[in-house]
Amino acid sequence: MTTAVEADTRTLIAVRGLKKHFPIKEGALQRVTGHVQAVDEVSFDIEKGQTLGLVGESGCGKTTLGRLVAGLSEPTAGGVYFDLGPQEKIELDRLMASDAERAEFDDEHRVDLLKGDAWRRFRRNTQMVFQDSFASLNPRQLVKDIVGRPLRVHREASGTALVERVVELLEQVGLGRQHLYRYPHQFSGGQRQRISIARALALDPGLVVLDEPSSALDVSVQAQILNLLHDLQADRGLTYLFITHDLSVVRHMADQIVVMYLGRVSERAPTDDLFAAPRHPYTEALLRASPDLDADGDEDGFQGLEGSVPDPARPPQGCRFHTRCVYATRVCGWEIDDVVLRLEETPGLFDRLEDVERRSPFDAELRFESEQAARTLVSTFQNEAPEPMRDALEDMTVEGRTVAIRFNPVPEVELTSRGTDHEAACVLEDFGSN
Amino acid sequence: MDVTERLPIPPAPPSESALRVRARRAGELTANVLSNPTTLTGLIIILLMISMALLAPWITVPNTPDPTQMPRDWGAIAVPPGSPGHPLGTTNTGGDVLYGVIWGARTSLRLSLIVVSITVTVGVAIGSLAGFLGGRIDEILMRIVDVFLSIPELIFALAIAAVLGPSFRNIILALAVVFWVKYARIMRAQVIHVKQNEYVDAARVIGDAPLRIFGKDILPNSITPVIVQATLDMGNIVLVGATLSFIGLAEAGLAEWGVLVSEGQAGISAGRWWASTFPGMMVFLWALAFNLLGDGLRDVLDPRTETSR
Repeated sequence: MTTAVEADTRTLIAVRGLKKHFPIKEGALQRVTGHVQAVDEVSFDIEKGQTLGLVGESGCGKTTLGRLVAGLSEPTAGGVYFDLGPQEKIELDRLMASDAERAEFDDEHRVDLLKGDAWRRFRRNTQMVFQDSFASLNPRQLVKDIVGRPLRVHREASGTALVERVVELLEQVGLGRQHLYRYPHQFSGGQRQRISIARALALDPGLVVLDEPSSALDVSVQAQILNLLHDLQADRGLTYLFITHDLSVVRHMADQIVVMYLGRVSERAPTDDLFAAPRHPYTEALLRASPDLDADGDEDGFQGLEGSVPDPARPPQGCRFHTRCVYATRVCGWEIDDVVLRLEETPGLFDRLEDVERRSPFDAELRFESEQAARTLVSTFQNEAPEPMRDALEDMTVEGRTVAIRFNPVPEVELTSRGTDHEAACVLEDFGSN
Repeated sequence: MDVTERLPIPPAPPSESALRVRARRAGELTANVLSNPTTLTGLIIILLMISMALLAPWITVPNTPDPTQMPRDWGAIAVPPGSPGHPLGTTNTGGDVLYGVIWGARTSLRLSLIVVSITVTVGVAIGSLAGFLGGRIDEILMRIVDVFLSIPELIFALAIAAVLGPSFRNIILALAVVFWVKYARIMRAQVIHVKQNEYVDAARVIGDAPLRIFGKDILPNSITPVIVQATLDMGNIVLVGATLSFIGLAEAGLAEWGVLVSEGQAGISAGRWWASTFPGMMVFLWALAFNLLGDGLRDVLDPRTETSR
């Protein structure tokens, strides 16, 4: 595992201000009613020869991010930049301030804009291994054709030379000549994932995007695949973007870890630092949710992650994690949606809610059927709402059937430095027991 | 590195080649189709019909100058089956029913082959285009398909054939205009489904061109339901074609089952059942046989059962 970033290393992938928003279409006219912010304002670097672990719950946008890095989809804003020297990276960061000035740089380095030879170079250099090895192999092709296809597409080999190259690749992943003329369905899940890996290695790429390569497999097979990936990296000097929902999987492979929550980076740190001292409550919750990491037995009643991931089409204000955070304070971004969400959990009251008139995400008037219902809301809020939420309240007044609620507006929480190469998007410098 | 899981199948002999594996797979598939007795029955009837159609010039004396026209024996009008020279009898215009039955098979084979190849080609092309490209093109093509689908097949074909005037060529044309729509529908749905598979993304990551991705990954994995539908339509088209020629949209005197049934129907009330019955049975058998085969193919080629085998 290499940790120090030498001055002369090239940055294989630089992700800058990356956004991918999917429109939500409704009705017969397919009107766009909103956007799912699958990836929002993400930036990080992948240095040559390193492994970057991308961790988050399902639905946090990590697969979308992987597809963007692999050049399979186009960003809404920002970009993925391929193979930058130290000077070019400095140039890029300088240019990030203005889209117009960056246009020329984008044309040369942004992966979704690459053309001709530059695009072919990127395509050969960036490969991907998918999660579902049953869906990622064409059921009508023989192993020889599946693994040999990249060589044929890039005119590297044909005829017997191609077969020999394929056998070589199969042997590297622990398969052999006897598997050449078989169909994918004749193999087990682990073997199929090996075929996928062999295909990804055929063009001798620099970067391999691994999208949960082992999570669909049995635990014993999972370990075999992880070992294989580790050995291949050592032999061939590969760079990995390792996407997973399980921190323990990347602990021994990743040099750096990016933790994503609802499309945003919540923490980014060298692996050892992240495990030793997580600086974001979400990372801490993920660590506690990993069973084999609770070796010290210091439980203090922590329950791991509670609640479900909020709707990515309407991410929470302030810190996106505040709705599930056990350390949340009054400055974490409490808003009208949090009140409405609590109302939904008390059906008797929610049914009597007639209308919500928003002036901002933090300021709204809730109109009820009756004065009594309006007063019930105020009293339940004062008795049952979490303390930080009540503290965040600026104003709550009842006027007949309407309740005017105003919270203190909080801007989106940005990533801030927490030490060498360590960033977290949390308003709290220190939280909880740490 | 000894981490390979053991294979449940014995190692393949070193003489293995892609061609041999594919041939064996095709063999297995054929054996599977033939193991079902109803499918086998359908296939046997079809093979008999086809050989009858192909051998028509040798098992009958072709009519001159045009063998597709019924020969007229003015000396034997409406004779019953078993008469000398007319084993299945003649019509009330002296047409030999056996000749009509045999050459009718040839006409039907020609009709169904032409119509199916045109409609499958057009339907698959349009469906693929709509499904693969999506967006506005898909929207436009599918609205056109909707217009065609909104009119019942038989009535639509009848209207077109009637406008174009009575001839067998126009029946072929009318059926081609009507039947492609189904294939476009099926193909579009298949392509949309198949293109979401990760192996399509895998091919894109490799850097393969869209057209080759379509040819290697999408088309082979979406064509099965089209093949099944085409088999069923081989039967349906003859049925609809016979209906059209029965109501007089083909040339009179054509050696075709529908024409023959129509010619014989006037005699039925007078007890001359043969002129309509034999060609009618042929239409029935033809449609039945292709339906049996189509159903059998559907069971065997169903992708869900195919991968698990």
